[in-house]
Amino acid sequence: MTAEYIADFGMDTISLAGPLAAKLRAIKEAGFSQVMFAARDLVGHPDGWHAAVEEVKASGLRVTGFQVLRDFEGLSGHLHDYKVDIARSMIEMCAALRSPILLACSSTSRHATDDEALIARDLRKLAMMALPHGIKVAYEGLSWGRHINDCVGAWRVVERADAPNLGIGVDSFHSFATRTPTEALQDVDPEKIYLVQLADFMWQEIRTVEERIETARHFRVFPGEGVHSEELRRLVIELDALGYRGDYSFEVFNDDYTQMPLPVVAERARRSAAWLAEDVLHRAVPLPGGSRLRSAPRP
Amino acid sequence: MSSLDREAVIEASNPLGIEGIEFIEYTTPRPQALGQVLESIGFRPIARHRSREVMLYRQGGMNIVVNAHGVSPAADGETPQIAAIALRVRDAGSAQARVVEQGGWPVPVKVQPMELHIPGVHGAGASRIYFIDRWREFSIYDVDFIPVPTVDPVVPAVAGLHWFGVVQYVGADRSADWCAFYGSLFGFVEVPADKRFGILPRGSILASPCGTFYLQLIEPDSLVVDDTGERLQRVAFGAPDVPAAVKALRARGIDFVETDTLHTEVRGALTRPQLGGVMFELVHHHE
Repeated sequence: MTAEYIADFGMDTISLAGPLAAKLRAIKEAGFSQVMFAARDLVGHPDGWHAAVEEVKASGLRVTGFQVLRDFEGLSGHLHDYKVDIARSMIEMCAALRSPILLACSSTSRHATDDEALIARDLRKLAMMALPHGIKVAYEGLSWGRHINDCVGAWRVVERADAPNLGIGVDSFHSFATRTPTEALQDVDPEKIYLVQLADFMWQEIRTVEERIETARHFRVFPGEGVHSEELRRLVIELDALGYRGDYSFEVFNDDYTQMPLPVVAERARRSAAWLAEDVLHRAVPLPGGSRLRSAPRP
Repeated sequence: MSSLDREAVIEASNPLGIEGIEFIEYTTPRPQALGQVLESIGFRPIARHRSREVMLYRQGGMNIVVNAHGVSPAADGETPQIAAIALRVRDAGSAQARVVEQGGWPVPVKVQPMELHIPGVHGAGASRIYFIDRWREFSIYDVDFIPVPTVDPVVPAVAGLHWFGVVQYVGADRSADWCAFYGSLFGFVEVPADKRFGILPRGSILASPCGTFYLQLIEPDSLVVDDTGERLQRVAFGAPDVPAAVKALRARGIDFVETDTLHTEVRGALTRPQLGGVMFELVHHHE
């Protein structure tokens, strides 16, 4: 049963344990209509990644996006060539999945340049590689990125790269970790925000980069479950007011959740979506026909 | 400005040194049926590939390659598809390297011994864009093709037909994407919206950096569900006198679309689809 009024919210496979088919079933049964995939959902399938793609198609769930290309930009020589190969492989899987978005996160590599002209050039190249496949590239500033570490920096280089299928991804975790003010998004063209990932965590402050990475990878919780509910509320309202009409995906890495029965975790995610839809965005009654949904352009 | 400065300007606007279309390639499981269509529109089969089921057709300055090698009706459908545009460039190897450096996907090489390796990149859908630099001093067809005996390789064009361009169907909201693709990778330039050609003016039109041909990008009509994907949909021939060309082609058995909304005019004409969808457009244009 799919709930229309949460149609623009989706789960991420990384929040769940178990085989792909079980994840898809749990997500669907909780009332979600879309899901964000990670490359390992495909390559880790016992029957190979093409079989995984067929399973996703058969599930009837919409694909939010595909993650994550790491450390692509700013490299040179053989390191750049190596990453181009990796990117091609990711794009091929992304295309087979009919995913409209490839998520690329900012480089953490100490070999990567801080020259933003070169970063923009590489991002434009990545966008051109994805373009014939009908894929948009959402570039996200990781809070522990080496040079680009927030949505302000990400938007700056995306604007500079100036490709029609290159935009930014916003992850609430990173915004909160770097204390990026919500108002920073006001400079961003809402059409160029391709994806918003939402998550909370359980403590007020993150002091070091190491703690940031540790928290991001193991201790995230669904929106409304942590201590930053007010900030999340403000972020979602701000995005909505800006005119953002894309998807919200729950990017919740949590070691406990991957030890719990899948329907229990999916139910927590559904409660989170209901909180955002009803209490934050005040969709008191389900909207007819899921009118917030835009059809994703496909070739 | 010295003459060298002027050449540098030309270099910047045509980075690959594109100088027109060398050939258009169709793939089809029914090569003879497509061959008949091409012959009725004025092409003649002049050479056969040495190792594959591939024929070369020519008319005036236009070459069409019909490729049936490894094409099956089950996997590829019955309708011939435009599989490639081969561009004349200054240096084929460096053209491919430059496009790949900008984000193009190189086409893997599959040649038999003594055959030419034609570098290329992937284009829309399953199509490819090849780069040819040996078209002045000798012909690529001399290497890979055997002439059909008794056929004159010089084939006069019917009514002055020449390449005008290729029409590409793109997905919804995808015109800006493809304009950027052809613009930054190949140096094509979008022509102003008030400059249109022929009788089917919808969409975006890109001029080749050499100014000798055009690409037209057409998004799906919002009222029509078209799930056949992005592809090169048809070629367009330039004709100095469209009504005269239509008359000459009708005499050869070609039918044209003649409806209230779409019909032969001085500006252009459209042939009726054959073989499940092969059509050609005529556009008023002088070579």
